[in-house]
Amino acid sequence: MEIGLLQHFRNFLGDEGIITDVDLIAPHLKEWRDRYFGNTPFMLAPNSTEQVQKIVKFCAQNHLKLVSQGGNTGLVGGQIPMGEILLSLHRLNKIREINPLDDCIIAEAGVILENLQNAAAQNNRRFPLMLASQGSATIGGLISTNAGGVHVRKFGMMRQLVLGLEVVLPNGEIYSELSALRKDNTGYDLKQLFIGAEGTLGVITAASLKISARPKYSVNAMLGLENAQMAVECLHALEEQTAAITAFEIMNKQALQFGIKNLGARNPLTELHNFTALVEFEGAFPDLPEHIEDALSTLIEAGKINDATIAQNEAQANSFWHLREGMSAAQKPEGRAAKHDVSVPISKIPSFLDQAEAAAKNIVNGARIVAFGHISDGNIHYDVARPENMPDDEFQNFIKDINHAVNDVVVSLGGSISAEHGIGIARKDEFCAREPKAHLELMKALKAVIDPQNILNSRNLFS
Amino acid sequence: MKILVPVKRVIDYNVKVRVKTDETGVDLANVKMSMNPFCEIAVEEAVRLKEKGIATEVVAVSIGVTPAQETLRTALAMGADRAILLTTDVDPEPLAVAKLLKAVFEEEKPDAVIMGKQAIDGDNNATGQMLAALLDLPQATFASEVVVEGGKAKVTREVDGGLQTLEVALPAIITVDLRLNEPRFASLPNIMKAKKKPIDIKEASAYGVDLAPHLKVTKVTEPPKRSAGIKVESVGELVAKLKDAGVI
Repeated sequence: MEIGLLQHFRNFLGDEGIITDVDLIAPHLKEWRDRYFGNTPFMLAPNSTEQVQKIVKFCAQNHLKLVSQGGNTGLVGGQIPMGEILLSLHRLNKIREINPLDDCIIAEAGVILENLQNAAAQNNRRFPLMLASQGSATIGGLISTNAGGVHVRKFGMMRQLVLGLEVVLPNGEIYSELSALRKDNTGYDLKQLFIGAEGTLGVITAASLKISARPKYSVNAMLGLENAQMAVECLHALEEQTAAITAFEIMNKQALQFGIKNLGARNPLTELHNFTALVEFEGAFPDLPEHIEDALSTLIEAGKINDATIAQNEAQANSFWHLREGMSAAQKPEGRAAKHDVSVPISKIPSFLDQAEAAAKNIVNGARIVAFGHISDGNIHYDVARPENMPDDEFQNFIKDINHAVNDVVVSLGGSISAEHGIGIARKDEFCAREPKAHLELMKALKAVIDPQNILNSRNLFS
Repeated sequence: MKILVPVKRVIDYNVKVRVKTDETGVDLANVKMSMNPFCEIAVEEAVRLKEKGIATEVVAVSIGVTPAQETLRTALAMGADRAILLTTDVDPEPLAVAKLLKAVFEEEKPDAVIMGKQAIDGDNNATGQMLAALLDLPQATFASEVVVEGGKAKVTREVDGGLQTLEVALPAIITVDLRLNEPRFASLPNIMKAKKKPIDIKEASAYGVDLAPHLKVTKVTEPPKRSAGIKVESVGELVAKLKDAGVI
């Protein structure tokens, strides 16, 4: 590495802002599921928007490529550099403003989601985005991937929670509109361009975000269900009866078995059911538990639910969520898997599960199907784990075919091959092959106008 | 065999406790309240004894504000047969609680009292011992295993330096520790059944026990915040820093 280049960055970033120690960079180059390992000449860690601006301007002038990274929790490889300079936003971690009366919080890109949730809670407000990696995932990455999670049915995806953005553009200019407005119809809504753009159109440095009232009462229940159709019916029956559902997650039997085995968790229900649902209800009045108990027992009596349990304290509620949120970690010891993050219209979930299973097993007989996710918004994490006795290397050969077959089912049901994780590098072949040509051309045209030198996250999205 | 299980409604132990701004106590407004975790273990043990056919009836008793009924409903959903609530708006101290439990014991005449070793709010670890003394009954505290056989209970207890096994003649007072069991999840059918089980509600004041506190809390404050640590490069540097700090 040229000493001159390092010295240039060190001059305005200081020693803390440029990291060359291989051991310190290593954790930033490895995707946590061990699916991607990258390399980079050095890592830049600016702590202000001005520093980001200087970095990008310099890189634009010198044709240097950057890969931006937040909490490194992305699941499609988009945050892992392959030779590019790594731009880590983790030091850009200030919460600039909290305005409870505007229901608005302004946070920098490197703020960890959990810290944002806590900051809102301290002001008697709630930032409703909730997902398994919230202890590491950062705001910039969550916006760049338009993250979803468990509360999407009620509160929407990240896109619905963003009021305004501050973005360093590929030419070093700044787009800045950290607005608190819910209504603003003045021209193109430019911020939408950067949300879910996977860092290809700019580096997000800060955002103004929606906060809302905190829930006063919550109830968490685990339901044992006979099949996916029952899950869909239960979702709607419970919503009609309680109007209080904030999350409705399912796990198939295999998923729960992996959870119990590999997370050391207990099954909250006395038996293993074909599907287990974790349902979260929220309300403003103390009789919420009673309403939920009544609604659930009506469904049990009607034979719509096999069994159910309601958390009697926070520890039990946490143990339900521990199982659900540990689903990815629980699969790690089981070897290679073909992973999918798909969505279909809610009513099509049962057909999807049936057809995808047939398609996957047609390719690898004995594959273990791990299906879990957000039935309340149609998003299923559909993982096909290798048969117990098949070596990883052998199974690896089938992954592309399985991906393709599962995606065929998804598309035939009017679904999306990437619901909430994005395209990154993992799904770009499937994406580019399936996306209508006109859409792809428009996306590429936008990229060419905004980042003509292709310096930002240049390997994401397009082959 | 009848088992009496005292249970206490306390701040949920997963809730981050906040001190009231006037420093008079812990802020309980709009805070999730649950059954004391040690009491939950006691209920579980009593219900398991019933499921093994050793106990015939499990009676849960609580002393406190009217919403403590919810805590009793949890005990009933776990498998207790009926419940008693002695209502009072004062927060009674261990001795007053022990005296009230003595009165309930004399009414109910159970063969054993199984209760938590302490409540996580006051952390007194006193009521079980006081109750045994007031009733002049054997006590086996901090149980990690309970075996009931032939009118006796063999209780393994966790003591400093290991385990001790006691044999006590019943009736006796057994207080339970964390490792005794893992409480069950209440199934919805059992939650619904629990709604139909009786809770006998009485005024605590009717027992003629002096409930007025004998201790006055002068101030409750948060523990001082820990300041950030530092990293040292070598043992030598560590020793030097410890010397600077005057700790060695």
